[in-house]
Amino acid sequence: MFNRRTITIVKRELKAKLFSKTFIIMTLLVPVFIFGLFGIQIFIYSVSEEENPNLLIVSETENISRRLKNEFDEYSEVKSGNYRISYETLDTSAFAERLKGLKADLLSETLTGVVYVPEAALANKNVKYYSPNPSNQALFNKIKPGINKALINIYFEDKKLTREEVDYARNNVDITGYRITKDQKVEEEGVGNLVALFLFSFLLYMALIFSGQTTMHSVVEEKSSRIVEVLLSSVSSTELMAGKIIGVVITEVVQMIIWLLPVILLITTSWFVLPADIIFKLDLNFILYFLFNYTIALFTFVGLFATVGAIFDNPQDAQSGVWPLMILVIFPFLIAISLQSNPQSSVAKITSLLPFTSLLVMPARLTLVQVPTLEVIASVVINLAVLFAIFPLAGKIYRVGIMVTGKKPKWSEVRRWLKIKS
Amino acid sequence: MNALEVTNLTKTFEKVIAVDNASFNVPEGSVFGLIGRNGAGKTTTLRMMMNIYQPDSGEIVFKGEKVGQDFKDSVGYLPEERGLYKKMKVIDTLIFLSELKGKSGREITIKAEDYLERFELADRKNSKVEDLSKGNQQKVQFISTILHDPEFLILDEPFAGLDPINTNLLKQIILEMKDEGKVIIFSTHLMDFAEKMCDNIAMIDQGKIILNGKLDEIKKKFANRNVSINYEGDISFLRGNPIIENMEDFGNTTGIKVKKSEQVQELLRSLVEHNVIIKKFNADEISLHEIFVSLAGKEAANV
Repeated sequence: MFNRRTITIVKRELKAKLFSKTFIIMTLLVPVFIFGLFGIQIFIYSVSEEENPNLLIVSETENISRRLKNEFDEYSEVKSGNYRISYETLDTSAFAERLKGLKADLLSETLTGVVYVPEAALANKNVKYYSPNPSNQALFNKIKPGINKALINIYFEDKKLTREEVDYARNNVDITGYRITKDQKVEEEGVGNLVALFLFSFLLYMALIFSGQTTMHSVVEEKSSRIVEVLLSSVSSTELMAGKIIGVVITEVVQMIIWLLPVILLITTSWFVLPADIIFKLDLNFILYFLFNYTIALFTFVGLFATVGAIFDNPQDAQSGVWPLMILVIFPFLIAISLQSNPQSSVAKITSLLPFTSLLVMPARLTLVQVPTLEVIASVVINLAVLFAIFPLAGKIYRVGIMVTGKKPKWSEVRRWLKIKS
Repeated sequence: MNALEVTNLTKTFEKVIAVDNASFNVPEGSVFGLIGRNGAGKTTTLRMMMNIYQPDSGEIVFKGEKVGQDFKDSVGYLPEERGLYKKMKVIDTLIFLSELKGKSGREITIKAEDYLERFELADRKNSKVEDLSKGNQQKVQFISTILHDPEFLILDEPFAGLDPINTNLLKQIILEMKDEGKVIIFSTHLMDFAEKMCDNIAMIDQGKIILNGKLDEIKKKFANRNVSINYEGDISFLRGNPIIENMEDFGNTTGIKVKKSEQVQELLRSLVEHNVIIKKFNADEISLHEIFVSLAGKEAANV
């Protein structure tokens, strides 16, 4: 299989792929895309906050009103004039009347909302919010601490407690994660590993989908442009398929190394310094494992995508026939991303050992927790076994399919191709 | 001495028997025609010879061994549906395809440039294939078929879709290769071409070989009772005549088959008696087309 003909095919693939404009563009575009994706999320989150909200806080007593003003005057948003808050003191019935008068302002959005703090809130902390948009979580998250602090201060005022005691009561529970590793070190966990999870999962997912799709289309193109018959008069279908896949795998691994270069430099040198809470605890071994696993994943998926390409003779049919394969990449990707809630759940453990899914889930798990080496080795062995099991089958389908043109073959026909002896 | 021996070749696609127990030999140094109408099984036979299709049964023997990679390396193959990588440069395409055959290096580059020069494509050597006209793409494909100096040429319907210039160019290549003692195998449904160019033929119809051998011997065998005439006048009186077995009228050329060979003279006499002006009376020529029709049946008449 690995002879001069295969090497010639590999060389052509590299020339057409690795030394092409598309390669340079993709190498630059994917990081831009990934960071763009994160950027958009942060942007959406930031703009989801109300712009210049104008609030009216009505309290039942003068005391509450004053305390609230004290608290909110400390807010940077109020100091900068971003939040405009006015205060009134009204009892329940007067407030009902007042609210009617405010209806027009609320509906025209000159007034964002009205907060009503009754005296009873001192006992039950129930506060009412009136607005055309009454479930504005971003705003609630901003104003709740201020109201809470004011209410607590009033509540404890005559309880003869020291400020420390009040502060203690007011504090929320703060959980800091510590990573227990085999080498007995106890390390404080930052969000860096979550960033790593998303980064590596996205890279893996996008690279697999992209390389698979382009390989499929290039096989379809070889078929529809009829060059394949010329090639098969010189090489066997196995040599052609192997050459093509090896060419794509080399190209994609080189591309991945380029993408990971900043991460590798981050780990091995002290050229860059990241803020402490987004440093991730990955070492060079992880990167090597990641690349090795990526290579297996590429051989598996690029091989399967090439096989699907060989079945069809036009891009539309191929695109509609490739969905089972797409699911095989998308599904594990979704599991990998969801690992952030609990990387040790049984779903995580099982899918990190299953064929296909483990190609994406295992590296994702490794960014978050220490997985026993035996499990990692098991997943690699399982994936290699699957690779060697499916390749002869893929080769058979490829061999027959590559010369079939015209009518779109049925799946039952494709199954029959598997039975044709070589 | 046979260069290739094809024995009992059979290939079935989804219940359709494309090639049915086909056997024939290709002698050394011959121009061999595989003749039959469209869908007769020519391309399938050639693809099996090239090891592109695996036969269901039967074998192709080259120099005493079943065809394999050695054979592939020594063949220049031109498929019926031609194709090249569209985005690849002309010179890169030629070098790549030659390298697949095991020939590479400076020598091949120089040779490729020579051919491009000869085919008036020297200035396009760095163009992408897709930027060439269809005729020029065909030229590139011819060059790629012969660049590695093959011992065999296997051409599937080589003249289909060629403009007159490229048709001549290809004929020239075939004749040159023949003079160099190489074996040329081509398939065609154009009996005229086969008749002019081949010294050996195999006729295939519905997957079966119905005739195989040296063209002149075949012609001799079929010639006796066949007459081809050029004439002016009305020969319709011959229809239904008891000495006529079969008649194919093309206007002023007619192929006639008499029932017994001695009836040829009788035919000539009756034509003269009916005042038909005979311009040419050929009692021993038979066209390949007539042979084909006589063997493959009436429905083949419009091939």
